[in-house]
Amino acid sequence: MKDKLLSLALFLHHSKKYKTYKQFARDLLFDANNIYKRYFDLTIIFLVISSVLILIYEVKNPVPIWLDNYDIYFVSIIFAIEYILRLWVHNDLSEMIIKEYNDSKFLLKDFNLWRVIKTGLYAKMKYMLTPSAIVDLLAILPAYRPLRVLRVFILFRVFKLLRYTKSINQFVDVLVNKKFELLTLLFLLLFIVFTSGIAIYILEADKNPKIHTLFDGIYWAIVTISTVGYGDISPVTDVGRGISILIIVSGIAMISFVTSVIVSAFSERLNELKEYRIIEQINKNRSFLIICGYGQLSKMFFRQNRKHIEHYVIMDNDKERVEKAKKDGYVAIHENASSFETLSKFDSQYADITILCLTSSDVENIYITLNAKSISRKIKVIARVNDPETIDKFKHAGADEILMPNIVANTMIYTAITQPTMYKAIHAILTGKSIANIDEIHVHHSHGMVEKQIKELDFKSSKLLFIGIQREGEFIFNPPSDEQIQPYDILLVMGRKISLEYFKSMHEGDISVKK
Amino acid sequence: MSKNKIAIFGYGNHGKFIAQGLMTDGFDITIIESDKNFYKDAKADDFENVFLIDVTKDSELKNVVLPSFEQLVCVMDDEHLNVFLTLSLRSLFKDSYILSISDSLNVTKKLKMAGADKVIDMYEVSANKIYNILDRPVATRLLEGFVSNRDGITFKEMLIPEGSFLDGKMADDVNFSNYGVLLVGMIDEEMGHTFVFVTAGIEHKLDSGDTIVCIGSKEKLDMFYEEIKKRKSSL
Repeated sequence: MKDKLLSLALFLHHSKKYKTYKQFARDLLFDANNIYKRYFDLTIIFLVISSVLILIYEVKNPVPIWLDNYDIYFVSIIFAIEYILRLWVHNDLSEMIIKEYNDSKFLLKDFNLWRVIKTGLYAKMKYMLTPSAIVDLLAILPAYRPLRVLRVFILFRVFKLLRYTKSINQFVDVLVNKKFELLTLLFLLLFIVFTSGIAIYILEADKNPKIHTLFDGIYWAIVTISTVGYGDISPVTDVGRGISILIIVSGIAMISFVTSVIVSAFSERLNELKEYRIIEQINKNRSFLIICGYGQLSKMFFRQNRKHIEHYVIMDNDKERVEKAKKDGYVAIHENASSFETLSKFDSQYADITILCLTSSDVENIYITLNAKSISRKIKVIARVNDPETIDKFKHAGADEILMPNIVANTMIYTAITQPTMYKAIHAILTGKSIANIDEIHVHHSHGMVEKQIKELDFKSSKLLFIGIQREGEFIFNPPSDEQIQPYDILLVMGRKISLEYFKSMHEGDISVKK
Repeated sequence: MSKNKIAIFGYGNHGKFIAQGLMTDGFDITIIESDKNFYKDAKADDFENVFLIDVTKDSELKNVVLPSFEQLVCVMDDEHLNVFLTLSLRSLFKDSYILSISDSLNVTKKLKMAGADKVIDMYEVSANKIYNILDRPVATRLLEGFVSNRDGITFKEMLIPEGSFLDGKMADDVNFSNYGVLLVGMIDEEMGHTFVFVTAGIEHKLDSGDTIVCIGSKEKLDMFYEEIKKRKSSL
């Protein structure tokens, strides 16, 4: 038996298939980036809702047999499978056995299989006792037909939804934060309920025809303290009424107390929750911008009537500026971009992030640059530099692009003086006026243009001006017409926007022809 | 390019850079400052025409700024002074071309109201640059080179002289690539000295007196310029 288990564990340990399956199950259940998880979640949510709707409908109407079967068997089986999967991926029993086996071989001690299995099963047991696992289990129970009472447990299926709704988790989170206050109040409440419940039972059990048991007393106490007051049980003696007065007054105090605790807990965390939402939303995009600092430059950046920037978030550690940005209608959060925790909340593995360091302080900008680069080299940083002497430091810190408002403005003025006509032209190009757009055509490896000669592309008839090729970091100006286009070339072309777009679509279409 | 007379007000952050660039290119410039330290800087940097005056006084301005100045560049470090100066210059010199720098949207508005012909907003141009870096990094680098890099690819305005071999030809018929340059566009005098891109899709006939704009490396541009000066007959 022992040997058989060990060889099974070894087999699983070496089986690639087993591991991929397990990993797939794990991703499906937990990995938010898994493409199938979305569908899986939606299926579960649909099953829960449909099953509850059937339960409600069933109360007054006969249900067709197939619907009943669907509810009892199909839904329950899916839930059972889910439950088993969760239990399965919770820990790796086979891995634990192998590890223990290797360890004991190394230490030359006896291999104790049962102890490992015990710890492994214990961990699974512990998981089974967590609230979400219990809910999962209860959701399967209605499948047991002989006990019709268990039908009520279908309502537990609703609790399963909790796992799939983040806002409720956050709500719970907030409450957990106020655990101490809430628990204190709860104990106080229980104390009052029990003492007054017992008191009314002792005082009125023989005088009041409505009070027979201690449960009646406690039920009355809860109905009264919550200020609900059904009135089905009411005190008949003066002492009983005295207790009622006390209990009502303390009940009002208690309710307002609890409400204020919860409200204050929420208002404390509200901003945080909102910002968490914003970050989560933006993390869903393949590429986005993080703009640090909402000053003159950032305002200007947004005010340019250029193509709409879709995915961005403004970050500033000054509360007033964040408020200003929000008032101006932008997505902004009050966070310190120079802190490691803040920037690591963004998913730099999945998305292409570009950070614009636009604060007015060079020190701050350098710090943000370093911070971003320390999280991932993949993050692109465009930094604003005010003092020309700090340029080297920015380059050293790894900034991809450096922007000096002073120098940019100076160059523009200089051009405006020396070449006034061309200034207009360059300004037109830089601001992307429709008549003269300079654009880049990025050639990917299966692009229709690959291996074509420049003369074959016939830019002229498309009313485009071909300027050059950027290849492996070098710019080739006006290459000879028999030059071949290579994969990953960037072609620089000038022309009207419509010509550019037409040209691009025309040549991208070639892929299918080639294939 | 005509070497017109230019007055630069301010030798601070911006003035210094601009003045030095213009001096290298051989422009006739005059620097006017109201700050003693900047005045000394300018003197130390070997500028000949440097004046220290109170720019808020019209009488003093009239003494140093002559109507013969074609461009007046207001780049004082103090934005209030800059607006005031633009206003005084406009009232004094109706025909001069006034260029001012601004560092915020509000100042830009004020400068325009004060009568500046062109206002360059420091943050606006920077903001545009960010867009360009994000959108088309290669193109941006090339354009940057046009204006700041003297050795790399740049552009040149060329006047087609009388009797040039280009005279009377259609722009499409001339193979500019053979000369290592590209025709970007031309300056249309009929349409009020505006720049027309070749890609606008209009058939261009080149005539003497037209100004064409080409891009290419500096030496190729110079060689091409020499080429078009040659007469038809000499080809």
